Amino acid sequence: MLLTIRKQLRSHPALIPLFFFIGGGAAMSLMYLARLGLRNPDVSWDRKNNPEPWNKLSPNYQYKFFTVNMDYSKLKKDRPDF
Amino acid sequence: MAETMDEKIKNYRTAPFDARFPNTNQTRNCFQNYLDFHRCNKALSTKGQDVAPCQWYQRVYKSLCPMGWVAKWDEQIENGSFPGKI
Repeated sequence: MLLTIRKQLRSHPALIPLFFFIGGGAAMSLMYLARLGLRNPDVSWDRKNNPEPWNKLSPNYQYKFFTVNMDYSKLKKDRPDF
Repeated sequence: MAETMDEKIKNYRTAPFDARFPNTNQTRNCFQNYLDFHRCNKALSTKGQDVAPCQWYQRVYKSLCPMGWVAKWDEQIENGSFPGKI
């Protein structure tokens, strides 16, 4: 299949940017989904060995890309038990 | 912000921003504070210390959680059928 694509590209070289843009877009969406699945503080993959992974984050941890009114130098409230 | 826990509880207005739960969906925030309140009570009372600091968690979950959920969970705890780990 790649051979066919290569032959067609050689006769229509203007299609190459198309591959770049579509490939780039697909890569960006997959990366965002991976980030959401792995880094989002709301998810927990392994409930037996690592339940509640969000409790291991520091109180300054910023997950969002843009925060408009938030100054992330706060401190934690009341954890000194368990 | 070196207030003691008592002062913080006395000056409590509403649940503060929690970096662990930055999104609009605060369900987990509510549940986590509910769990933390009960875990704190359990941990401090087994150690024999005063459970007053745990009031913070109770204030926060009362601010965040719908009353129906709190009532349901309290009932489940009394029955022994509460699904969370305390």
